[in-house]
Amino acid sequence: MKIDTEFNAKNLVPDTEAGEPAEGTVNRFDVEMVAVSKSYDGGARAVDEISLRIPKASYCCLLGPSGCGKTTTLRMLAGHEDVTDGDVLIHDRNVTDALPAGRGTSMMFQSYALFPHLSALDNVAFSLKLKKVPKAERQARAMEFLKLVQMEELAHRMPAQLSGGQQQRVALARSLITRPKVLLLDEPLSALDPFLRVLMRSELKRIQTELGITFVHVTHSQEEALALSDMVVVMNNGKIMQAGTAREVFEKPSNTFVARFIGGHNVIEFEGRTVSVRADKCRIVEAVGGRNLPATITSIEYQGPLVRINLVTDDRKDLCAVISDTRFFADPPEVGEAVTFSWMPDDEWAFGA
Amino acid sequence: MLNRRPLSYYLLSTFFTAFLLFLYGPMICVYLLSFQGPEGGMSFPMRGFSLVWFETLFSAQGRGVGDLHNSFFRSIRLGLIVALLTMLIGVAAGMSFRRKYPGSNFVFYSAIASMVVPGIFVGFGISLTLRLLGLRPDWWYSGIGAQLTWSLPFAMLIMFIILGRLDKSYEEAATDLGASSAQRFQYVILPLILPGVIGIIMAGFTSSYEESARAGLNIGTGNTMPMELTGLLGAATTPVMFAVGTLTTLFMFSIVIATLLVSGSIAKRRQLRLTAH
Amino acid sequence: MMSPRAASWLQATPFAIIMTGLVIVPLAMIFAVSFMDYGFAEIIPEFYLGNWTDIFRSDLAVATYATVLRQAFIVWGVTLLLGFTIAYYLIYHVRSNFWRAIFLAACAIPFWTSGPIRMISWVPLLGREGLVNQALTGLNLIDEPISWLLYSEFSVIVVYINMLTMAMVGPIANSMAKISPAVVQAARDQGATEWQVITEVIIPLIKPGIAVGTIFIVTAVMGDGFLVRAMSGNQVNTPAVAIMNEINAFQFPPAAAKSVVLLVVVMAFVGVLLRLVDIRKELAR
Repeated sequence: MKIDTEFNAKNLVPDTEAGEPAEGTVNRFDVEMVAVSKSYDGGARAVDEISLRIPKASYCCLLGPSGCGKTTTLRMLAGHEDVTDGDVLIHDRNVTDALPAGRGTSMMFQSYALFPHLSALDNVAFSLKLKKVPKAERQARAMEFLKLVQMEELAHRMPAQLSGGQQQRVALARSLITRPKVLLLDEPLSALDPFLRVLMRSELKRIQTELGITFVHVTHSQEEALALSDMVVVMNNGKIMQAGTAREVFEKPSNTFVARFIGGHNVIEFEGRTVSVRADKCRIVEAVGGRNLPATITSIEYQGPLVRINLVTDDRKDLCAVISDTRFFADPPEVGEAVTFSWMPDDEWAFGA
Repeated sequence: MLNRRPLSYYLLSTFFTAFLLFLYGPMICVYLLSFQGPEGGMSFPMRGFSLVWFETLFSAQGRGVGDLHNSFFRSIRLGLIVALLTMLIGVAAGMSFRRKYPGSNFVFYSAIASMVVPGIFVGFGISLTLRLLGLRPDWWYSGIGAQLTWSLPFAMLIMFIILGRLDKSYEEAATDLGASSAQRFQYVILPLILPGVIGIIMAGFTSSYEESARAGLNIGTGNTMPMELTGLLGAATTPVMFAVGTLTTLFMFSIVIATLLVSGSIAKRRQLRLTAH
Repeated sequence: MMSPRAASWLQATPFAIIMTGLVIVPLAMIFAVSFMDYGFAEIIPEFYLGNWTDIFRSDLAVATYATVLRQAFIVWGVTLLLGFTIAYYLIYHVRSNFWRAIFLAACAIPFWTSGPIRMISWVPLLGREGLVNQALTGLNLIDEPISWLLYSEFSVIVVYINMLTMAMVGPIANSMAKISPAVVQAARDQGATEWQVITEVIIPLIKPGIAVGTIFIVTAVMGDGFLVRAMSGNQVNTPAVAIMNEINAFQFPPAAAKSVVLLVVVMAFVGVLLRLVDIRKELAR
């Protein structure tokens, strides 16, 4: 078990419960999915034989475009969607057929799904009420979790009186009070405005680190995934395209889909090979000893410290270069200008080929 | 888990089937017993099978049983007019809620009041008013009026619900594109609420066809169908009433099916138009 | 161009005129007439309190109110149980929209038969020679037919339940359908059993639907005289029946006074329930 940080997190991490693997077995992964598939009414597979192992106490993001199967995967972990084929293990216990509440997971819904007739405090205390915990005790415990998410001041408000971000915090506390081994978050930040999103993001990471449990977080934002994850799982068409650390995925995308989806990359067919080059390694001046391509500037986006330059090659392929503002303003190019797009061979990534 | 049905599903399915039996049981008796043999009575067993009770109904130029023939046509006439008025007035009232205006609460709660006040009081009140004004009730004004107090609130509430779910920016977008208020209604609102409007016409007709508590005292001379049937109930000793039941049910069935077909073909035509583009 | 407010007024005017002229004014007229004298089949517009003093002097009024309140309570309780169970089944156990629509339609079809016919349809079931008595004698459970099945308070209540259950199913199902599926899943996720989901989440959230259904049921039972007369064979007396009898006897002012009492009772009840639910908000959602 993890050593306490400044908050009394020891109360908040899961107990060892019945159904835990017997003494002596090594708990190597918090979550394991073995060839899990999902198809609806015998139709096409929404999730296609995915296998995934999430190490202990990780922040894992399932990343992909809408309809890629990431939410279905999460809901299968939660038990809100039945598994067509394959097995789901949580802490080495096979929970494929277990009820949602009996698998050690807890889900935070995209819409928060707070009970509209209960106050924030009663929402958090809900699972304890189901277990017939006396009122005073359950409210005290719920208050503790509201403190964890910094919502103790608004404990007696009804959900309708809370902002989106506040509702989210309550939903988080409500999920955590069941002491899940794995917390499942379905696009938790998508309904928040950009400012709150960044704030909540660091909050989620803080709480995950404090509790030392695994979070599985579904998102379509690569920025969010890179910022949060110990492990990023990129999905497309019901399959896992790549699973690895944020850095691995960004620096060594395993295929063109991942390179394009994760962003910040140029996927270039050059001299018969397909390579990816990070946009921040590309220049718009001729490079001695480098690769050079003639291109035309189509637009320029100023992003503060960086400037993004979009270009198109003579054979209508889109490219992009990201350079520092200092470099840009030293000799600012103009839209429509014909330039040389260049990169160094060392910066090429040939998808592991 | 989710795909495996819990025990409660089977219990509730059984319960629901029993409820359907409770709803349909009496009706099935009516349909079966309307074909009762000439010697049979109002209860089972069936003594043979015949159309004799239907024949009775149509004997003597349709004057076989009470004044059913004329009542039926009176009811149809009343129902059609009430349905049309309900549609026009109800849709207009529903549309008024597209904007905030003083008095909207009066319109809304007068409809609720008219729905919850028991019909005999409305009917009785109208008849007292006519009496004190020295007017004789007649179907074409007090009869229709009394029934409108019943059909209009439903029409207005149906519109209130449907329009409440329509984004107000549709009209704003249409206005931005230069639509007049008439064009806005014709090209934007009406196509979206058309199924509801058809529903209102249906509801207007059926509520009038079934209604007697309000219209009863105000219809003047000549019964409508439910009044005539209520009058015949006490004297009923033969299955002829069941024959009436079977026939009127068939009639309602054909109206409902026709409505469904009409709205289905409207939807289909719209679909075709969309795919054609 | 017309101001938007004027447009709304214009649209609502025909409706408002009908509601005022044919509901509000007539109800006020009942109140006025209740203070008038009467002769045979005529109203004498002179102030007269006798209609009111008669009501408070008769034990009959108390007895009829006891009868109708008992009926309303039983019918309400049974339709609430049936209505909730059916709505719950349709919303949470029937998973395909297609079958849900079919089942709802199946519940509506019997109502396409005219009301009076539906009343007489109970004769072959509950009558002395009806199927129920035939079955019970056939099974040797009874020696001779039970006579109180038809033309009794029992048959009145059975037929009320038969006709009104759907009026409870509708509003409850409507309220249930508005509960976000995620909220129910969240409750399951928190460890709630099916029964706990019902008691802790669903019932608190469908209270508005229950209130609306209750209004439908109670006003229907309290205000009806036709069904009671037909199904009890004129043996059960309720306030509405008493009023109808007086109207049929052309004794309008006493009928008016009794109407005012019944109206006040019904409307007070509706008023209390409407305090619990903002019906306008409920429908606009």
